[in-house]
Amino acid sequence: MSPCAKYADHGDGTVLVTGATGLLGADVVRRWATGGAAHRLVVLVRDRARWELAAHRAGIAHGAVIAVDGDVTAEGLGLSRDVRRWLAQDTTAVVHLAADTTFSRPLDVSRRVNRDGTAHLLALAAEWSRVARVAFVSTAFVAGRRTGFVSESGDGAATEAIGWVNAYERSKAEAESLVRAARNDWVILRSSTVACDDMNGVVTQRNAVHQALRLFHDGLAAMIPGVAESVLDVVPTDYVSDAIARLALRGGIDETTVQLCAGAGAMPLADLLDECRAHWMHDATWRRRGIALPSLADLETWALFVQAVEETGHPRLRRVTRALTHFLPQLALPKRFETRHADALLGVSAPRVSDYWGRMIDHLQRTEWRGVAGLAEEAA
Amino acid sequence: MKTEPAGAERRHAVRIRGIAYTYATESRSVRELAACGSLESESSVLEGFGFDRVHVAVEESPYALAHEAASRLLDEQRVVPESVGLLVCGGTPSAMAFSAATDADAGAASLCTVDRFRYPATRLQHELGLECAAVLALDQLACTTLFGAVRVAHAMMESEGIERALCVASEFYPAHAGREALYNCTSDAACALLLERTDESEARNRIVGAATITKGYYWDAAAMREEVVASYFPTAVHAIWRTLDSAGWRADDVDWVIPHNVSARSWEVLLRLAHLQSAKLWSRNIARRGHALAGDNFINLRDAIDAGDLRPGQRALLFSYGYGAHWTALAVEA
Repeated sequence: MSPCAKYADHGDGTVLVTGATGLLGADVVRRWATGGAAHRLVVLVRDRARWELAAHRAGIAHGAVIAVDGDVTAEGLGLSRDVRRWLAQDTTAVVHLAADTTFSRPLDVSRRVNRDGTAHLLALAAEWSRVARVAFVSTAFVAGRRTGFVSESGDGAATEAIGWVNAYERSKAEAESLVRAARNDWVILRSSTVACDDMNGVVTQRNAVHQALRLFHDGLAAMIPGVAESVLDVVPTDYVSDAIARLALRGGIDETTVQLCAGAGAMPLADLLDECRAHWMHDATWRRRGIALPSLADLETWALFVQAVEETGHPRLRRVTRALTHFLPQLALPKRFETRHADALLGVSAPRVSDYWGRMIDHLQRTEWRGVAGLAEEAA
Repeated sequence: MKTEPAGAERRHAVRIRGIAYTYATESRSVRELAACGSLESESSVLEGFGFDRVHVAVEESPYALAHEAASRLLDEQRVVPESVGLLVCGGTPSAMAFSAATDADAGAASLCTVDRFRYPATRLQHELGLECAAVLALDQLACTTLFGAVRVAHAMMESEGIERALCVASEFYPAHAGREALYNCTSDAACALLLERTDESEARNRIVGAATITKGYYWDAAAMREEVVASYFPTAVHAIWRTLDSAGWRADDVDWVIPHNVSARSWEVLLRLAHLQSAKLWSRNIARRGHALAGDNFINLRDAIDAGDLRPGQRALLFSYGYGAHWTALAVEA
């Protein structure tokens, strides 16, 4: 298959991409820019310097992509009148990756980017007559507090009654609803949490997973929410970006939701902690400290602990538990993401987490947790 | 009556024959302690964690408390002092053992004089008439001192054939030292245990399992406050599970968890993590006694027996943590 065929269909005109300065967005754009597809790529950027850096890092050739100034949080995406007129005439597809992925944001802040930003984009797309595809990159964790099997459909998302663990999940679920209601040419691509770049375990962008691992490594986490059947579902960047690049513009899959998740390849939490420990034990200094990895706690126990820490008023401990609270409770809500549609469309499953987890742990330690704040750095 | 098969090897077990304790006479409420600046946390926080009153030594020295507890134990058990083959003492550093709380600084200063060789353990041997007892003293085990004493005594009883051992721990806080240890409100007290070897499989209060975990990395508790709090729970779970394993028990087999009197909230969390039922925590002394470094668990064991809560044949799990850092537990068949 030629690169062109790989990424074709709705991409024969102009494709507007948001979130291109992010790790995933830049890699998706790189794949399209270097894949020989016929479309013209336009990226919406708030900060040109940041975009140029992201493009340089991703290896996107100068001039391969047109950057336009804008901001998803503004009405009309903050586009100038000329740019807006031009995009209205030429745009055939919109790929929306922009998101505020910080788990600890207040709901109104998360909504401003994730829900309202999506609404602004949909409003413009509705005005642009040639648009035949809106691809929305979401998160598998719109499933929120749902447990068990999570289907690749609108039903997979949590409802108000079920609830969400953090504002990020909720605001993305709300955005999905907007997309579904707005048109019938959408594709929703739900990504699991990105853990590392690729199978080599290299970590370019640190997130809550790495933050939690560092707290475990440093012996600062007493417990983590989890139950015996808990698994960690994460994916490498290259799997997700390849999947987005291949599916976002593909024809014949309107109104399809796919989950770009480890699914059956997710790693049991107990195995994951054991593997961390096995790798860290190679470090004599760590071994001598005799650090116990955190106990698994149900959500009620976790809440009791967090409450006790809050009551003691110890600022650094409070910071640790608050940091973990926005993310880790998911682990006590065991779920298995369906990946049937994704696997069928891509012809491949996401790599099993156990196939690269150890390499990622080694990478983090080898690079001395660079970019992942520990308690000492946070307090400084 | 159960009989052993012919030729079966008789196994000696060690049992806790008796327990006695003495608290300092005076007591203070958590609010009174807060009012006089003896607490780091707000009184409401410590009350929320289950504390109400603690005992405060004013006139009593740690030695006086230890002497009273040990004498009472020997009297209650009607044991001839000469029959005790081992005395293991621990608690307050020996230099301060003869000082009242208000005079602890002077006691500590005696470390720099010949008075440093005035030892409470040997004085106790003499004054109690324990003429046949070997004498050992333990230090640096904090709230696990009495567990350490039991461990040493148990091993020596088995290896040297000692029939009876007396373990005594006594602790106080000097007047200006504050009354809070890591969100726990502290009491002054002494506790004495009489251990005895037995061949009877049905003997009461047999020690049937034990485990101790020491992690020297956490030696500087003040500097590693966050790490100590974080390590407390998972390591406690390991110590408890190892103890259950050594006793051949499952978590469901435990009838009573006999605690050290630290925050009720931390016990609630720990029991859930260790898959033990909260209802099995014998917690009534936490509020009214506070946390005595000298041996809450054994004081509580005695009170649980006296109250009729812990009945013959029931299974009791004792767990304690001590700065240093030590996590230790005992399995006792009542």
